[in-house]
Amino acid sequence: MWEVLKRPLQVGSLAGREAAPLPAGLEPAPRGIDGDVEVLGEALRVEVRRLFRGSLKLRHLDAGSCNGCESEIAALLNPFHDLQRFGIDLVASPRHADGLLVTGPVTRHLEEAARLTDEATPRPRLLIAVGDCACDGGFCRDSFAVRGGAGSLGPVDVKIPGCPPRPPVLLRALLEALGRESVRAAAKG
Amino acid sequence: MNVIAGELFPLDRALRGIRERFGAAVIDADRASMREHVVILPADRLAEVAGAVVNEWGGTLLTMFALDEREEGGRFRVHAMFSMAPEDAVLTLAAAVPSDAPAYRAVSTTVHAAHWCEREMADLLGVVPTGHPSPGPLVAHDGWPGGMHPLRKDFTVSADVAWPPRFTFVPVEGEGVFEIPVGPIHAGVIEPGHFRFSTVGEAVLKVEVKLGWCWRGLEKLAEGATLTRGLELAERLCGTCAFSHALAFCNAAEELAGAVVPHRGRALRSLAGELERIANHLGDMAGILNDVAWVVGAAELARLREMVQQACDALFGHRFLRGVCVPGGVARDLDDTQQLWLRRVLAEVRADVQDACRAAASNPAVMDRLNGTGTLTTATARDLGVTGVAARASGLAIDGRRDHPYASYRDLDFQVITRAAGDVYARFDLRLAEIHESLNLVDQMILRLPGGPIAQHLGELPPARWGFGLVESPRGLASHWLRADPRGRIGDWRVRSASHAIWPALATSVPGNIVPDFPLINKSFNPCYACTDK
Repeated sequence: MWEVLKRPLQVGSLAGREAAPLPAGLEPAPRGIDGDVEVLGEALRVEVRRLFRGSLKLRHLDAGSCNGCESEIAALLNPFHDLQRFGIDLVASPRHADGLLVTGPVTRHLEEAARLTDEATPRPRLLIAVGDCACDGGFCRDSFAVRGGAGSLGPVDVKIPGCPPRPPVLLRALLEALGRESVRAAAKG
Repeated sequence: MNVIAGELFPLDRALRGIRERFGAAVIDADRASMREHVVILPADRLAEVAGAVVNEWGGTLLTMFALDEREEGGRFRVHAMFSMAPEDAVLTLAAAVPSDAPAYRAVSTTVHAAHWCEREMADLLGVVPTGHPSPGPLVAHDGWPGGMHPLRKDFTVSADVAWPPRFTFVPVEGEGVFEIPVGPIHAGVIEPGHFRFSTVGEAVLKVEVKLGWCWRGLEKLAEGATLTRGLELAERLCGTCAFSHALAFCNAAEELAGAVVPHRGRALRSLAGELERIANHLGDMAGILNDVAWVVGAAELARLREMVQQACDALFGHRFLRGVCVPGGVARDLDDTQQLWLRRVLAEVRADVQDACRAAASNPAVMDRLNGTGTLTTATARDLGVTGVAARASGLAIDGRRDHPYASYRDLDFQVITRAAGDVYARFDLRLAEIHESLNLVDQMILRLPGGPIAQHLGELPPARWGFGLVESPRGLASHWLRADPRGRIGDWRVRSASHAIWPALATSVPGNIVPDFPLINKSFNPCYACTDK
């Protein structure tokens, strides 16, 4: 038992910490603006409390993604990001969800399954497109085998571009979206 | 296997065998590149010769695909490519299939590993392997409307075509046999696939895997595309093995164009490849522990994975190393300070992964689930052409980094580690050992990083030539075959990822286990859906 508990006790809470902080003088490679997970998360928590009584449940729906966006959504749940502490969680059934996180360009093969999943989600629900593919078909929008993104399921409430969007980018986009009047209206139904 | 003096090399053995036994049938034989030898045969003799290559001369099927050459030559062309390891040699058996009656005797009748490749070929090009042991649509679910074959050059599709995903399954009958349909939409944050279990109580009698949900038609999109666009497609075949696919694609393009990547570029490619392997292995191991509900260990390994990914992000600008590999080399260099910092981050990973796994291995609740679960036998792994972790955990000592060295692996010291048991624990434990080997490799590479430029400009693609790239991705061998069209753009691109061979093998390892162990078995192989579907 001690073996099991030793590590978490030594490490303590990692929430909001940087996994691999760069030492002074080391310039990171050029990348998009991320933002601080802690600051974004706290702001999100306030919004989630106001709009969803402190509990926003999302269901992930893979509509033909390459697994990049999935990995980043899953990374939101790791000890550094620990999404649940902000009142947001991923649920197993669309019937328990306030919103859908759609990834992938909606392939024709998945069209029916994606539509049925969407229909199984109680209204009002937020339709959130995660990643370039879900936003507009992304790199494969010209393919005959895809429908061109989450828009084929209905009006998209939130678009989160990126290929894939990094975890803090996901948080920031959600925060921005919850601040928008249209999204607030959609959330209330 | 009998090795006769003077016939030490499998390629020589195979070529001599073909000459002696099938000499009259051979239409042409030639070298296509430094390592690839092509033998052209009548289509109906492919199965026979391929059978001898695999079953007698030690070849392993790498990939098999068809090409539409009706415009140039009034025919389809079929390629079956074999690894002739331990020699860095590839044997290609090629055949022309007439365009008016595109059928030939299925290679699957003698080489089981070809069975999914041939079904896919029938879907995508309408080239029919007759006598196939388990025929039927693969990518096309239960058939696309109107005999649609997307990889034919003259293919067009109207937007209104309905594509109903319908399947038939092989029924299992008997008292108390139930069918459990699962997917394509799953309860977790994972990719789409449909699994049909036939069960008695909790025990699984059979599982049928139906994929193709993520089929985005990427090989079609590459037709007529520039190299830059092709690379964009290759990097997005698979989100988590993005670098390996980019590298295999670039290797193919460089072989095609006759370009040589500078030493430093090659070394940085190996380095990035190992970082990708470490991150993937950590993620897979976290997944295994998560699936046995040992959350402490899962969280610890997820933490280490995040460290590696953030290091990749800081050094290369992408958490999945996209944009790092470019035709001709790499896009980013590492200076001394960055190298030092990377080693410091990885030293922490090395120490902590060991602790986490020791704690897991000493926990009976964990080990009870991992030991003896989901066994893939050596014979089945070999028969189905499995590569990568899945093959090595079942006792097959194969590794593309050693057998077909690319990037800078020829200059590096590393071991190909195997485990004999072939169960979930073997795959878990093998990944741990491989992480250590990869960490050693990164250290070696940094200590021996050569100077000079990191990339070379890649000239025009010479028309009508082809190149072949093989890379040991975290999941196994990824193969990319690339041919230029007369305008110097991409004419044909054929990809086979490691997962393509793993799925059928995975299905054989499930019967006899209980339904709740399926997610665990699946995670222990962790084949990717998107790069199988393409």
